[in-house]
Amino acid sequence: MPRRRAPAARWLAVAVAALLAAGCTPQSVTEEGRAVHNLYNLFLYIAAVVFVVVSGLVIWSVVRYRRRDDELPKQTHGNNRLELLWTLIPTVIVLVLFVFTLQAQDKVLDQSGQADVKVTVTAFQWSWRFTYDGTGAEVVGSPGTIPEMVVPVGQTIRVKLVSADVVHSFYVPQTLFKRQAIPGTENTFDLTFDKVGLYHGQCTQFCGLQHPDMVFRVRVLEQGAYQSWLAAATRRSAGQPGT
Amino acid sequence: MATTELPLPALPEAHHEEPGGIVDYLTTVDHKKIGILYIFTSFGIFLAGGVLALLVRLELAQPGLQVMGENTYNQVFTMHGTLMIFLFAAQVSTGLGNYLVPLQIGAADVAFPRANAMSYWLYLFGSLIVLSSFFVAGGPAAVAWTAYAPLSTREFFQGTGMDLWIIGLAVVGVAGILGAVNLVTTIFRMRMPGMTMFRTPLFTWGVLVNQLLILFAFPPLTVVFALLFLERNFGAQFFDPTAGGSPILYQHIFWFFGHPEVYIIILPIFGIISEVVPVFSRKPLFGYRAMVFAFFAIAALSFGVWAHHMFATGLVYLPYFSIMSLLIAVPTGIKVFNWIGTMWRGSITLSTAMLMCLGFIVVFLVGGITGIFLASPPIDFAVNDTYYVVAHFHYIMVGGLLYGMFAGFYFWFPKFTGKLLSERLGRWHFITFFLGFNLTFFFQFLVGLDGMPRRIADYQIERWSTANLLSTVGAFLTGVSVLIFIWNFLVSIRRGKPAGDDPWEGNSLEWVTTSPPPHHNFHHLPEVHSERPAFDWRHRDDPAFAVSHTDPERNLDRG
Repeated sequence: MPRRRAPAARWLAVAVAALLAAGCTPQSVTEEGRAVHNLYNLFLYIAAVVFVVVSGLVIWSVVRYRRRDDELPKQTHGNNRLELLWTLIPTVIVLVLFVFTLQAQDKVLDQSGQADVKVTVTAFQWSWRFTYDGTGAEVVGSPGTIPEMVVPVGQTIRVKLVSADVVHSFYVPQTLFKRQAIPGTENTFDLTFDKVGLYHGQCTQFCGLQHPDMVFRVRVLEQGAYQSWLAAATRRSAGQPGT
Repeated sequence: MATTELPLPALPEAHHEEPGGIVDYLTTVDHKKIGILYIFTSFGIFLAGGVLALLVRLELAQPGLQVMGENTYNQVFTMHGTLMIFLFAAQVSTGLGNYLVPLQIGAADVAFPRANAMSYWLYLFGSLIVLSSFFVAGGPAAVAWTAYAPLSTREFFQGTGMDLWIIGLAVVGVAGILGAVNLVTTIFRMRMPGMTMFRTPLFTWGVLVNQLLILFAFPPLTVVFALLFLERNFGAQFFDPTAGGSPILYQHIFWFFGHPEVYIIILPIFGIISEVVPVFSRKPLFGYRAMVFAFFAIAALSFGVWAHHMFATGLVYLPYFSIMSLLIAVPTGIKVFNWIGTMWRGSITLSTAMLMCLGFIVVFLVGGITGIFLASPPIDFAVNDTYYVVAHFHYIMVGGLLYGMFAGFYFWFPKFTGKLLSERLGRWHFITFFLGFNLTFFFQFLVGLDGMPRRIADYQIERWSTANLLSTVGAFLTGVSVLIFIWNFLVSIRRGKPAGDDPWEGNSLEWVTTSPPPHHNFHHLPEVHSERPAFDWRHRDDPAFAVSHTDPERNLDRG
């Protein structure tokens, strides 16, 4: 029955193309994020194969074994060897994925290196405060004014994340990383940006009325530009104590 | 084979007079009527939750705030999640289980009919308490269905709506525990002679494991709500770090309930698929025992994975929760492969119920595979709390749950009513739902990967708007498919073709009784010699399927 098979095959092709299109994670702009990007793609390739095989088997069964007469098909109750096979294969797949997960995780969470810049990020309803340790420089936003976290390119930024009130989450999509800011807890992580640019950031843990307005930006500058920004910011903050 | 007259004490008097009408439903302790009450109530809540979902999609169709303000939006999505997860998804299968489990095991009713009625009424009034929060000053809760502390404490969220939310859900939780005790006891103690555990239909197994999960998962939920209530109203400080409390404690207890909840919702659906696929493939379920063991494997693992919802907290031991979550793919995969094994070399009829099963397998596959991504902490760091997660769990909860529910409904409606649903409308229902559902949620994977956070009334990034608009169109198409379903129900219940007792050549005992079944369920019961008593009964004169009374494993061709 070629007429029935053709749409099924086309449908499958569209589904696969769509699934692969879904794999376009934004290119990461940090060293740590690259590990996530590669891991995601590995998962995606295996997932695509699994999806094609399984949905292919479903479509094949339906097309090939449509009811044609009243005769009962052979009443098989199972097959130990097959069942063992489709228990073992997924087990092996997830174990392999687990090993790659552990490797990527070590890269993403590694804090063994020397931190070049230390920033304390305080999340509050509904904006952010960025404090540059040891300099007195501070940037504070409000729901109306989007704060910028300015950092130098190619250097290890150690973020200390705290919350002043409820649970928030620090997320810069192009770093492929987020972390919750939890009251009473200090979370630290490293970000090493390898591209100069301006990146969107946002709170992703629902935190009340103006949660959607809790937006910030990360401005990544060359070292020289960063130093002059930092000096200016330090002067500015010294001139406005208590903000 | 001879039919066995049931021993008399098992049955109420044969000519039971029923008052009929509303009074009957208000006072009934009949498991079938209570089942129908559960199904109708939860479906009503589903419609309300669906309208809230459409409001969410309307607001997100374009950037900016058009339809409602931030506060209303927060209330709308909070109540959407609350109604769907707590009051619909976990309850509708209790309704189906109530109706079908005694029939499938050859019992006249559940073990505790009065407690059963009490469960239902507690569920109804608990739900009404939650819904009443729409009418109090300040409106309903607006802290997301997860109600993370400290956001949900009085310091950050005032209003009676939140307290009504807690009280109502706690009442529904108690109803769930009571119902679970009842159904578990029924399945263990009320099976007819010959119905061993390993001859019990897969739907009953699904309900058993689902109710066992409720038994272990709802008490922690009740506890966390009690703590939150004390914190809000009596100055307790369980979640306040300045007083030695811990916000992370809330997340731990909540998700210790929250992840098993996913399986509470989906295991009965696995059961439905495992009933419908064999019937329309005209073959026994492939790997029956493996299917049962897979249920228990999933249930056991589900209590060891809760913190994969908390990878981004930075406060949980990642490798343990990662490997446990990944491993759930194995028993789940067994299920999918066994369904395919059932269809393989079968004789497949594409009835609406079967189409719904196929739809289930495909969308559940997408939901399951994306779940594997989320079990990996580094990937979770990237996509947690974005629309990627929203898409993933809607593929399980909307695609999985609803497809399974529709499959079950088209399959058992003839048993409930004696009439067939229209297959023509059923096909339209299937197609519109398939297109609408995928249009709604597939593009959410893409915006999620691009970084769109969930639970925001507005988004500033222009390039997210196309996907959001498509998603909104899809949501309304899904709404149309539900209207077709309701239309089909209304038309068929009045003018549906008579179904007869066994329209599909079913396998389990509900198909040997009348449609609808009599008050005490059965006039006659066949002997049970396999997991397909109705099949055996239909083929009782066929020597190829002759039943050996001594060898329970007879005829079991395991290839």
